[in-house]
Amino acid sequence: MKKYTVINTPVHNIDGIAKITGRAKYTFDITLPRMLHGKILRSSYPHAEILNIDTSKAERLKGVKAVLTGKDTLGLKQGIWRRFKELCDEEILARDKVRYIGEPVATVAAIDEDTAEEALDLIEVEYKPLPGVFEPLEAIKEGAPQLHEQAERNINVTRHIEWGDVDDGFQKADYVREDWFRCSSQAHVCMETHCAVADYTPEGKLTVYTSTQSHYYIKVLLAEILGLRENDVRVISRYTGGGFGSKFELDSAQFCSSLLSMKLCQPVKIVLSREEEFTATKRRTPMFYYVRSGVKKDGTFLAKEARVFTEGGAYTAMGATALYLTGFFQSFPYVWPSYRYDGYRVYTNTAPTSAMRGFGAPQATFCAETQIDLIADELGIDPIEIRRKNAMYPGYEVPGQATIQSCGLDQCLDKIDGWIKSRGELPRHRGIGIAAYGFMSGGIFNWFDTPYAFSSAVIQINIDGKVDLFVGSQDMGQGSNTTMAMICAEELGVKFEDIRLHMGDTENCPVDLGAWGSRETLMQGNAVKMAASKAKQQILEFATAKLSPNIVYDLDIKDGWIHLIARPERGLSYYDVVKEAIRGKEGQPIIARGHYTPHRKGMISPAYSFGVQAVEADVDPETGKITLKNCVTAHDCGQVINPLGVKGQLEGAMAMAAGYGFTEDLPMDEGKILNPNLVDYMLLRATEMPETEVMEVETYEPEGPFGAKEAGEGLTNPTAGALSNAVFHATGISIKNLPITPEKVFNALKEKKKK
Amino acid sequence: MIHNFNYRRATSVEETLGLLEKCKEDYKIICGGQSLLILMRQGLVAPENLIDIKSVKEMSYIDYDPKNGLKIGAATIHREIEKSPLIKKYYPVLVEMEKNLASVQTRNWGTIGGNLAHGDPAGDPGPILIASNATVKMASLERERILPLEDFFIDIFETALEEGELLTEIQLPILPKKTAVAYEKFSIIKNQQGIVSVAVSITIDEDAVKCKDARIVLGAAAAIPLRAKEAEQMLIGKKIDTKLLASVGKKASEESDPVSDIHATETYRRFLVKTLTTKVAKKAWELAKAAN
Repeated sequence: MKKYTVINTPVHNIDGIAKITGRAKYTFDITLPRMLHGKILRSSYPHAEILNIDTSKAERLKGVKAVLTGKDTLGLKQGIWRRFKELCDEEILARDKVRYIGEPVATVAAIDEDTAEEALDLIEVEYKPLPGVFEPLEAIKEGAPQLHEQAERNINVTRHIEWGDVDDGFQKADYVREDWFRCSSQAHVCMETHCAVADYTPEGKLTVYTSTQSHYYIKVLLAEILGLRENDVRVISRYTGGGFGSKFELDSAQFCSSLLSMKLCQPVKIVLSREEEFTATKRRTPMFYYVRSGVKKDGTFLAKEARVFTEGGAYTAMGATALYLTGFFQSFPYVWPSYRYDGYRVYTNTAPTSAMRGFGAPQATFCAETQIDLIADELGIDPIEIRRKNAMYPGYEVPGQATIQSCGLDQCLDKIDGWIKSRGELPRHRGIGIAAYGFMSGGIFNWFDTPYAFSSAVIQINIDGKVDLFVGSQDMGQGSNTTMAMICAEELGVKFEDIRLHMGDTENCPVDLGAWGSRETLMQGNAVKMAASKAKQQILEFATAKLSPNIVYDLDIKDGWIHLIARPERGLSYYDVVKEAIRGKEGQPIIARGHYTPHRKGMISPAYSFGVQAVEADVDPETGKITLKNCVTAHDCGQVINPLGVKGQLEGAMAMAAGYGFTEDLPMDEGKILNPNLVDYMLLRATEMPETEVMEVETYEPEGPFGAKEAGEGLTNPTAGALSNAVFHATGISIKNLPITPEKVFNALKEKKKK
Repeated sequence: MIHNFNYRRATSVEETLGLLEKCKEDYKIICGGQSLLILMRQGLVAPENLIDIKSVKEMSYIDYDPKNGLKIGAATIHREIEKSPLIKKYYPVLVEMEKNLASVQTRNWGTIGGNLAHGDPAGDPGPILIASNATVKMASLERERILPLEDFFIDIFETALEEGELLTEIQLPILPKKTAVAYEKFSIIKNQQGIVSVAVSITIDEDAVKCKDARIVLGAAAAIPLRAKEAEQMLIGKKIDTKLLASVGKKASEESDPVSDIHATETYRRFLVKTLTTKVAKKAWELAKAAN
């Protein structure tokens, strides 16, 4: 019998047909009876005191039902770092002070969008402008304008990571290199903008349909800031049109629509415009990085020191996590005998920066991998060899931080080495750059302070064998629904089609922390597997009674066939046994639960994915124009669950990460984003995508369900670094300032010629 | 958010002109809307009346005759120009330009007339049409007039179209003997609006030795698609070689007047004008030598 009947077969998304036939109802599509439309007035100042808000004219406009400001809230500050109150610093509707252009100051509900929009123009806000500060390296200076009372020199969070004797390591090094890097910002650009439909009823219950990565977080945060009991709030999020890290914090659409609905006892819908999405939602954290590395002549790594100043924007958001993760992944995926990291997150009068696919790691990987190639070049060592010499390996312990169990990095290097060699002699002005990377399979941190398990699942089996699987995980397009159904089917021994999945509703789904930090496959997957295993046990009890084998035999279910493992031909149909089992349980369906919370797994994650990516690119020596040719990735995500899903993740991540390295940026002038539209914000398009290929390296991760690890977020880490190395090998110049635009390459080439 | 407006759809030139007269206080003509809707969405343009001429069938055509050349109806979509066998045969460089104009979706909906009337100096067709000596036909209730395309562009987003006037046709004369037009757009990613573009037409004398006539037109390098006339003069009457081409590029760069924006600095744009002009002029010269 095949080891697996469901896992590792290419499966189309369980909700794919509903999506492509347009039946999938996203929040954007929700319309309720008596529904009103809301809009949000946002600050046009980067830093100002609010002296007065006069809403009377707006209230008098025909069709306007309510105009609310910060005064109509409980005045609470919120945030996801609930264990650290000082880091919950965002009111969402500002009462006294605005700190970035786009910060909400008032919200309107009206009979239609046009009226609500018109009403915004009638709200009179009296501001007292304050001096602003926009760059972290300026904001941290003594005497710079201060955003928050408690944050001297605008320092929001600091992080320190250290192991080994760093100073001794540098002493012993034959070669020391230091570089400064600037990592730019990036917008998530979800197809579905942030949106919510809030429906408060006189019984005191609030239902919110919303586009989110974590219905559980939104439920808890809404209850807290609105003064409701946690389970009087119901959050429904069946389909989410993209998240990428932008949708697991409470947002202005969710909060303002709820506030308005509570005031009016009528449903209120708020959909952010694309411009609001660019200017007034969170974004990737820009970072200024200093990196110093000491190595032996033969390329052995000895000591590394990194310091980073991150542009925090006006509030903490998830920036504190990004600050920790960037420091940890700066050392990844290598063995550094000594390492010291100091991170400073600095408040600035810009839109807050937060989580975005990779969560600080793409920035770190760009700096680290660019520098490694510069070191290798100085020492005359092949880029593959220097990485192989220092690569993490199974069983390696990152001192005080993490234990690496499965690790296929060495095999990934082999595969990429083989691919590079197969390319033969490259034409002039073409280069191949590589970058090695790793990422976490779910974070183990609980700053949210949930008393629930990190992931839970419930299974109910009906008389026809159909399995109702209830999960708390959120599918935002990454395919977790399909992954969970596959894990459930495999463990239970039934067909994929036997699973009916229920998700996206806090009222009837168990708690899961949500889709961020690449956690669903491992964490929700383990909970599903546990529930399926317990349900199977119940079925096997009945089957054992029916088959009455010798007690020494074990039973199992595969593909709907309950059988003796040693004698697979002896067995019964699962579908028959289920019916009898339920009859035997006084007509009760078979129900089982599963849950997962990591214990004693270090500081970061229970498991890590690994990979190596090669990018091949042409650089026009005259204009600096870069053309992507090939992108090949060798990838260790443990046991692959759905090969089609992994391919989709890889291609999507590649487009997003190449955009980060190459074209995407959010330039600002005094805190104002200059390209808040899809014409000026340059996303890569289909015509620009190079050939991509993924080579799987299979390992077995003992902590993952069936040995699986993350396969979504980590793929965003390598591309900017691999691209910068490709440019370096094609031209001899190294760009340390993202994105790598033709003009920067052109200027660097000109400089080089002068020398 | 787009402000409310009255939407009116015309089905003939006559009807359109009537509507323009009726709405003369405040209107915008829409013909595909690939550029206009972006401005409306951003609230930069908020017309009271939107007059849609996309369905004016009599304005969608591609005609060619060996005496008068090519006539393209202003409401012809880009994709039709790209796919036209006539254009491919007589003005192949237009096809190349169209292939790199935005995305297929945009080309399937956007029109040549809409593009020109928008008056964006970064528009793709302007430079190449001016280099090809194109004229445009405009109609109003009172009159019909023909203007060299070069004089059609007045300033950024401003054209010679007067109130009540409609751009109806783009005309391309037969290229003189031994003439070729070449074009290149520099963009960071394919199908993106150009950072800079350059079109050059060159006519060489009967003996195929000297340049008889030249037109150099720069896109996204000034407030309008700009003719680099001094650079042109450097070519006319000369035998063209690498050295001359290099100084022509330099001159065109001096004549240009680009801006700095988030996509490129003025310095980089000037450099691109220089290098593209040299490159495109060389290409046009070589094509002209091979032409009939």
